[in-house]
Parts: sequence; structure tokens; C-alpha cells
Amino acid sequence: MHSQNNMSRAQVAVLYLVLTTSIASGIAIYSSASTITVLLKTATTGLFLPLLISLIVSFLLDPVVHFFEGKKINRTLSIFIVYILLSSLVLLLLLVIGPPNWKGMMQALQADFPRYVSGAIAYLSGLLATAQQHFPFITNYDIAERLSSASQSFFALILKETPRSAMRIGSLLLLVPLFSFFFLRDSRRIMRGLISLSPNRYFEMVLDIYANVSWQLSHFIRGRILEALIIGMVVWMGLSLTDIRYAPILAVVAGASNLIPYIGPIIGMIPGLVIALVDLGMGGQFWWILCVYLLIAQIIIDNFILIPILISKVSNLHPLWVILAIVMGGKLYGVLGMIIGVPIASIINIVIISIHQYRRSFNPYQRYFTSRGKLL
Amino acid sequence: MNPFWSNIFQSSGYEQTLEYFLSTMPMFKKLDKRELAFLANIVHTRNYEADEIVFSEGDIGSGMYSIRSGQIQIFNRSEHGEETEQAILETGDFFGEIALTASRPRCASARSTEPTVLVGLFRSDMLEAVRRHPAPSAKIMLGLNRVISDRLLQCSLQLEELKKQLGDDRKQQTDA
Repeated sequence: MHSQNNMSRAQVAVLYLVLTTSIASGIAIYSSASTITVLLKTATTGLFLPLLISLIVSFLLDPVVHFFEGKKINRTLSIFIVYILLSSLVLLLLLVIGPPNWKGMMQALQADFPRYVSGAIAYLSGLLATAQQHFPFITNYDIAERLSSASQSFFALILKETPRSAMRIGSLLLLVPLFSFFFLRDSRRIMRGLISLSPNRYFEMVLDIYANVSWQLSHFIRGRILEALIIGMVVWMGLSLTDIRYAPILAVVAGASNLIPYIGPIIGMIPGLVIALVDLGMGGQFWWILCVYLLIAQIIIDNFILIPILISKVSNLHPLWVILAIVMGGKLYGVLGMIIGVPIASIINIVIISIHQYRRSFNPYQRYFTSRGKLL
Repeated sequence: MNPFWSNIFQSSGYEQTLEYFLSTMPMFKKLDKRELAFLANIVHTRNYEADEIVFSEGDIGSGMYSIRSGQIQIFNRSEHGEETEQAILETGDFFGEIALTASRPRCASARSTEPTVLVGLFRSDMLEAVRRHPAPSAKIMLGLNRVISDRLLQCSLQLEELKKQLGDDRKQQTDA
């Protein structure tokens, strides 16, 4: 107390100065922080997707690169070898099969789309009419009007988005190989640098959890992508046996939607079934297509062969989380967000589960040791 | 030597590197330069202040440490909190090697007594290395195995000795 009363004028002035400067700089930092976050946001828009895709690509190519590394080739060179092999494979496929006529197919689809929608609407209104016959209390719901307006707006959206997405694909073609090259070459170094930032006390735990998470993630991502590719191929082959048009596009839709568990396969087979119904009618080919989608692709290939081999080691998401992830992904990034929302939710799930496991039961020898490490 | 002079007459660059330090360890003595470079890539260098805990008794261990510089005290803590010192380790010594192959709890605590640089080799890195580069990893593991077997041999010899002494003591007691 005594010393406080004795504070000289100069000390008071310094104290005052220090306080005002600290408050002023605090306000300045706070206000610039908000502009900085805005700046960061604008600077990073459009980078999320290429980064994500190149991460996935590097997860996929990693085993191949390691195969070459095992032959005593250094890592950079083996990444180049893998790139060259991959691009020549794509070129070879294009030369042998010929490029699928995507543009013509898109134009034909643009012309055909309203026809399919109206076919589906007619079929649905027929169903509704029969339903009203049996249950007269169903009010006359104008399903045809609603469906056609919804489909028209959806189609307009696709038309509008196509040039933009084409530009996006162009930039992806440039960025993804570049990013994934660096991820492939330096991911270990980057992760080691990040891990070494952790404090000494938690270093061992962080290292163990990272090892577990990265193992699970690589299996999960590789498994999912391979699964989608195989399902797409199977659907393509199955559909090629029939007279259905747009088999390649339908196969891509089926493969991509297969990335979404539970709901995806059902959504993925709707366009195929609608096209089959309108073009081919309710004949044997329709049943064969249904059989391809449901029985062959989903039940036999996916459930009996692929899932047990590829992803059984990784825990799956609860259906409720799947639906939430789809809705939230859709709000953030549209259709694309719906597809990548679930894998991202699964990644978060894996991280949380392995941290939890480490904390609770990573010690498999608990039965033999006391908490102090003494043998019981 | 005076630190001023030791700075001027610094040894050649290679002797400052992590690879050189690793090659002086008994377990990595037989590795060639390429394998040493590989090893230097999978170890982690950690800096500790004086009187900082490296790990505590009962922690889930995940790897071994070797001392690049500084000093480490190994100790046990009793139920009442009293500490008994087990060993003082200096530059070039290593500890915690049991945890390298299995996630056993640490059976003693380790603490730095002065600013210390540790080089840690951890199980997860070792497992990955075994999977990806089997040949050099096998050599590293063999080196570790050799050192641990030496220790085991020493232990059993000492045990034998102690048993003999105990037998002699008993004999004397019964004679007396």
C-alpha cells in the first residue's frame, strides 16, 4: 500500500501510457482480425476442392509410388514414373476405346431430359389416379405440375452451372496433379513438422494417435474410391448389355452416388430406372437393369465382396449422421457437397474414435499391470 | 576446452550431424551411411528444459530415447511419493527401449536434470519403416536386438552370481 501511494508522477504517466497503448493495440488487432478472416476467406475460396481431391489422389497413388520406391528409385523420380504411367494409360484407353462422346451425349441428354421427366410424371400421375381410385380420401394433389416445375428449375441450374464447372474442371486438371505431387513427395515431412510442434509431454500420444488415424484414413479413402470405381464399371457393363442410352453417364452417377452410404445407391439408380422405364418400357430389359443396379452391383458385388475386403476394418457412420452430413454438405457446396460431405464426416468420425480409443483402452496390458506399471 | 576455442576449432561438418551421432550408438554401429541417413529420417529430435519430465511411470510407452546431449535421471516413485533414483544417464546412453516393440507401461520415470537434447525412435515410425523399407529396418532391429540381448545376458549372469552368493551365504549360516 505504502509504495502505491508513493508512485511518482512519471510512473503514473508510464502506467497510463502502457494501458492506453495496450487497449488501443487490442482494438486494432481485433478489428484487423475480422478483416484478416475476410481476406483469408476470399483468398482460399475455390482452393478447398482441389486440395481435397489432390489429398485423395495422393492417398490413392501412394501404394503405387511405394512399389517403385521399393525398387531403389528415389521418391521424386518414382512419383514422376507413376504420373507418366498413369497419363499414358489414360491416353492408351482413349486410343483403344475412343473417347466417349461426352459432348454429344450431353446434348442428346439436354434434348431428351424433358421427355424423360414428362414420362416419369405421366407414370406417377397414373399411379396417383389408381391410388385415388382405391383411397378416395386422398385429395387431388397436383403432382404433375409440381414435378415439372421443379425439374425445369433443376435443369436450368445444370445448364447454367455447366460452363462454370467446365472452367473448374480445367483448373482442377492443372492444380490437382501439382498439389498431389507435393503431397506425395512431402506429406511425411509436413506431418512430422506438425507433430514435432506438440509439447514434449503429449508428443508420444500425438504420434501414436496420428499413426492410427493415418492408417485408418488411408484404408478408408482407398477402399471407398476403389469401391465406387468398381461399382461404376459393373453398372456400365451391365447396362451396356441392354439397349439403354447414356450408359456411361449412368455408370458415373451410380459410382459417385455410391460414395454416400445407405441413401446413395438408391438415388444413383433412379435416373437409370426412369430412362429405362420411358425408353424401354416395363419389359424384360427394365427388370434386368433393376437387377444390375440392385442385385448385382449392390448386393453381390458391394455387400458380399467389396465391403468385407475393402472397408470392414473401418467403423461406419450412423445413418443419422449420414443424413445430417448430406444436408449440411448440400448447403455448403451443392451437389458436390452432398457427395463429399459423408466422407468428410467419416474422417472426423475416425479421428474422434481413435482419440477416444487411445484414451480409454489403448493399453492392452492393463490386466497384467497396475496403473503404476508394476507387474500384478 | 574453452567454448570460444572449441567454436574456432570445430570438428568437420559430418561429426555435427545426426547421422554421425547415431553411428556412435552401439546398436547402430554396423549401419552404413545410406542406412544411417534413413534412420535419421525416422527419428525425432526433442529438446527438453532442465527438470522436465520425459515420461512418467505407468505411461503407455511408445518408443526409446537416446541422449544426444545433457543428462537424464531415471527414478521410481513409491506409493508415498518418495523418489528413488535408479540411474543417471549421460550423452550416448539410451533408455525406454522396451516400449519400442510393445506398448507396455513405462516401469520408471525419466527426467532431465539439465537442458537436454533427446533423439527418439518410436514404435509407430518403426512399424511403418518395417512395412515400407524392410531391408534397412531389419538391420536397425537386429542392432537393437543385439544390444538388448547383451543386456539380458549380463542380467542373467548377474542373477547367476547373486544366486551363488545367496547359496554361499546360506551355507555359511547353516555352518555357523
